[in-house]
This record gives sequence, C-alpha cells and structure tokens, in this order.
Amino acid sequence: MRSIALQNEIIFLILAVLAVVSSIVMITAHRPIDSALSFIVTLISVAALFGLVNATFLFVVQIIIYAGAILTLILFIIMFLNIKDENLPDEKYKNLWLLGTTLLILPFSAILIHLILKSDIALNSATDESFGTIKDVGLTLFSQWVLPFELVSILLLVALVGSVTLSKRND
Amino acid sequence: MLKAYMILSIILFSIGMVGLISRRNIIVIYMSIELLLNAVNLSLIAISGDLGDSSGHVMSLIIIAIAAAEAALFMSLFVVLFRKKGSLDANIFDILGSKHES
Repeated sequence: MRSIALQNEIIFLILAVLAVVSSIVMITAHRPIDSALSFIVTLISVAALFGLVNATFLFVVQIIIYAGAILTLILFIIMFLNIKDENLPDEKYKNLWLLGTTLLILPFSAILIHLILKSDIALNSATDESFGTIKDVGLTLFSQWVLPFELVSILLLVALVGSVTLSKRND
Repeated sequence: MLKAYMILSIILFSIGMVGLISRRNIIVIYMSIELLLNAVNLSLIAISGDLGDSSGHVMSLIIIAIAAAEAALFMSLFVVLFRKKGSLDANIFDILGSKHES
C-alpha cells in the first residue's frame, strides 16, 4: 500500500514537470507550429494526471477531444494557412514582455499557493471501484446536470452556425 | 496529493495567463486560453476525486464541450482574419472599429 502511494507520487512528479516545461515552451516559442506541438505534450500529461486520480472517463475524453480533435484542428489550420515568417508578428521585445508579465503574475500565484499550503483540505480519497467510470459520470450528468447539458447542446449549435457564417466568403 | 494537484493547477494557470497577456500571435493566445481551461479542469477533477463526488467530472466535461465550441469559432476567425490581413499579429486586428473602410 505504501509503495503504491510512493509510486503515484513519483509518476505525479514526472508528469507535473513535463506539463510545466512543455507549457513554458508553448508560450515562448516563436513559430506557432512549435507551440502547438509542445501543447500536445502538455495536454497528454494533463490527461495522464486525470488518470492518476481515477478519472478514467475524463482521461479518455481529454485524449480524444483535446489532443485528438482540437489540437489536430489547430495543426491543420496552421499548415493550411501556409504561414511564413513574414506573416508572424515581429515580437522584438517578446522576452521583455514575458519577464514583465511573469513579475506581474507571480505575487498572485504566490499568494494562492501560500493559501493552499496553509489550508487543511481533507485528504480522504476513499473511493469505491466504480468512481469515475462512464456509468458513474453519466448517472450524475443525467440526474443532476440535465439543464447545463441541454444548454451545451444549444451552445454547440450556435458555434456551428457562427463558424459557418463567419467563414462564408461575402462577395 | 490534493494540495500538489492544486499547486500544479495554479502554476499552469499562471503560465497560461502570462502567455495570454504577453504574446501577440493569436494562435499562441488561443492556446493559452486552452491552457487556462485545462488548469481549471485539473483542479476540479482533483477535488472531485478527493470528495468522492463525480459532479466535478461532469463540470469538466461541460468545460471541454465549451472548449470544443470555442475551437470551432476561433478556427474560422483565424481563416477570415488571415485572409483579410495576411498576418497573425493581434495588434492589427482592429476591424471592428468605426474608422475601418471597406
């Protein structure tokens, strides 16, 4: 039992370092294709972190929808637009901007981390076998969360109509 | 373990915020927004697994659906703006302003 917890902590540490490093590469890369490729690494490590806390259904959904659909769409658009170096904005002061914004954001995240470390949030994690499976999530979705589910369907329809209207050539 | 998840979520959110504010490439800005949503999802799922309640899973499922809708809209916006301006610079996308002709 003890060795399983230790093993989980080691896996968590590796995945956390992978997610943080690849997301830093994502926001600092100059060409968008590099950012998209390193963002895939972030998404897959976040999915593996979902799997580490028994969220098996969300693990599958994250892999399929995020890494499978959304990032593939981004890569497709980047390659489809045939972006050359002169189409990119020349961010001369990019590193300066990144440094300044980091100094701006740092106090807030330091306060939040300090609060999290001081708080006594419970650490029970006594879950049964069926927690996080499709059956469990689906029962909760269709018993307590029916209204948000229907609203999301309307939102998807609106987004579909909106994207078709936007990309229609008006000439 | 829950505290470690929350701290990782805060760190990822801060990185996404830095990218959102300081970059001018709209594709990187879009991916920073996705990173913010992922950080929130991570903390929701960690709390949900700790409480043994699957409402957090449903919430993050809905957030993923919203992100998919957002992706569709953003992609058509990229295509339209790139066709109109030939650049990915967020500073020159001011075509909603009143002084824009044709």
